[in-house]
Amino acid sequence: MHVVVCVKQIPDPAVPGELDPGTHALKREGKLILDESDSYGVEMALQLVDKAGGGEVTLVSMAPNGEVSGLRTALAMGAAKAILVSDDALAGSDALSTAKVLAKAVERAGSVDLVLAATESSDGYTGTTPAQMAELLGWPSLTFAKQVDVAGGTVTVQRQTEAGYDVVEATLPAVVSVTAGVVEPRYPSFKGIMAAKNKPVDTVTAADLGLAADAVGWAGARQRITQVAPAPAREAGERIEDDGESFQRVVAYLEDLKVV
Amino acid sequence: MNFAFSEEQEQLRDAVRRFMETKSASEDVRRLMETTDGYDPAVWAQMANELGLQSLAIPEEFGGQGFTFVELGIVLEEMGRVLLCAPYFSSVVLAANAILNAGTDAQKAELLPGIAAGETIAALAFTEPNGKWDADGITMEAVGGGDAYTLTGTKHFVIDGHTADTVVVVAREAGTTGEDGIGFFVVAGDAAGLTRTPLATMDQTRKQARLDFAGVAATPLGTVGAGWPALSKTLDQAAVAMANESIGGAQKCLEMAVEYAKVRVQFGRPIGSFQAIKHKCADMLLEVESGKSAAYYAAWAAGEDNEELPVVASLAKAYVSDAYFHAAAENIQIHGGIGFTWEHDAHLYFKRAKSSEILLGDATYHRELLAQRIGI
Repeated sequence: MHVVVCVKQIPDPAVPGELDPGTHALKREGKLILDESDSYGVEMALQLVDKAGGGEVTLVSMAPNGEVSGLRTALAMGAAKAILVSDDALAGSDALSTAKVLAKAVERAGSVDLVLAATESSDGYTGTTPAQMAELLGWPSLTFAKQVDVAGGTVTVQRQTEAGYDVVEATLPAVVSVTAGVVEPRYPSFKGIMAAKNKPVDTVTAADLGLAADAVGWAGARQRITQVAPAPAREAGERIEDDGESFQRVVAYLEDLKVV
Repeated sequence: MNFAFSEEQEQLRDAVRRFMETKSASEDVRRLMETTDGYDPAVWAQMANELGLQSLAIPEEFGGQGFTFVELGIVLEEMGRVLLCAPYFSSVVLAANAILNAGTDAQKAELLPGIAAGETIAALAFTEPNGKWDADGITMEAVGGGDAYTLTGTKHFVIDGHTADTVVVVAREAGTTGEDGIGFFVVAGDAAGLTRTPLATMDQTRKQARLDFAGVAATPLGTVGAGWPALSKTLDQAAVAMANESIGGAQKCLEMAVEYAKVRVQFGRPIGSFQAIKHKCADMLLEVESGKSAAYYAAWAAGEDNEELPVVASLAKAYVSDAYFHAAAENIQIHGGIGFTWEHDAHLYFKRAKSSEILLGDATYHRELLAQRIGI
């Protein structure tokens, strides 16, 4: 089985991010790391290949400056190879452009049974790319999977909902977006880290994938960030004087939030 | 010679730190230190199966990955940083190196793969109730010959001695003294005649046991009588390992202290702005950084297995055990009242620093060794 995992390499969330004052886009110049939410997809893919008794995991990623740090992390976990799309022309790509690039990269990966992606990235949060990719590839799209099983040309997922989960299935190939779910991403061994250094990373440009320069990046973007405002400061909470019955107000408040 | 860690070694550190911070958080340490066994078998298995930490520095022909003491040092530093409760130091550092230094190839092939896989936990029993770390401290006599010896006597302060599946025991031939007549012996943890008693230790994060031998049958490891060079080398390697583990704890104490000094406000300003606190932090930083240089250099020397090892091992052990204890003590002072409570982690580091200071010989002992070793 051949599973492709979309991985995003993002600025370290532990370091406060910065926006470019001109474009309002997130600055992505420094070292990038593997988006933690993608490590769950990598783990699920490795488990699925393991269960299938053969095959491999290929990573696809789009990142500036030929960045491979995050890919190396996922390769050290056990992925076999990676396709990296890195091109100055891709700067400013919106979610749809990203989906176009990744879909082309998936096609470049050869015969693919399943594509896994996180539900959303930890730095962009659009949450639309996996579904857009599926549309572009013409494959079924399953979303918010907390568990993924593959058997006999069918993928079955437990789709996380507010109340529990739905069981949804589709024929392969398909694109599935996965939540943090029930797996624990494996920790790499030093041997794996050393081996990752020599695993193939196919670095390509937008043109290599047959994408016109005006279809992606700032030129192809259908959206523009016109304004950025700081998040509102936290407001003071509501104070309830206890008259012996105030617990009901607390319960009502929690019910409002749908946590009870 | 490149003194910086490679990119891959930094990735190893990242992975191990992520693992340790997830699996050995304060509540895990506090839960495990209350238990007799003192470790979590599930975490131990994950360390072996996913990260391959137990097998890291064991040669490939004996079931390991064949990396060096430099990588082992990185792992130990990260373990020390979170006070990991696990028989890593006893099994992977002390026992595995004793077997590597003393055993025949056949014995290494028999004993090491289990340790590398994390399936066997081994301990090294060499200290006795006299509390001495040198050759004179070994008084237990081994009686017999060929492949069959019996051991009678007591080994004390044996790290993880009560949970070990295999115990490597250091004893001497009858009638010998000093560095003569030393031998290594292998005993199963559940051998007949062996009584194991867990000790109540001040540092609950590292367990110790007393082992009483009443005519226990033992298999010699290597050549009985010629064991001192192997033991001496094992202790040097262990001193290097302890320095690397300790510097991780010292760095954590420094970070805790500086963090608190920035947020704790007294007289309308953060206490870190007062010179008395600033100077403490600066002194800690100086010692931690110097200690790192000593520990890393010693790990490199141990990895190269070169003639510098005995000198730098004692130097690193002496310097870092002082630095760690000082950092742990100052961390409590900078925290003030809260640092003196059970709920705060400062005391856990203080106790680990104290036990690590004394284990394998304190700073005074190692400075004396250092003086002898450089010939002054």
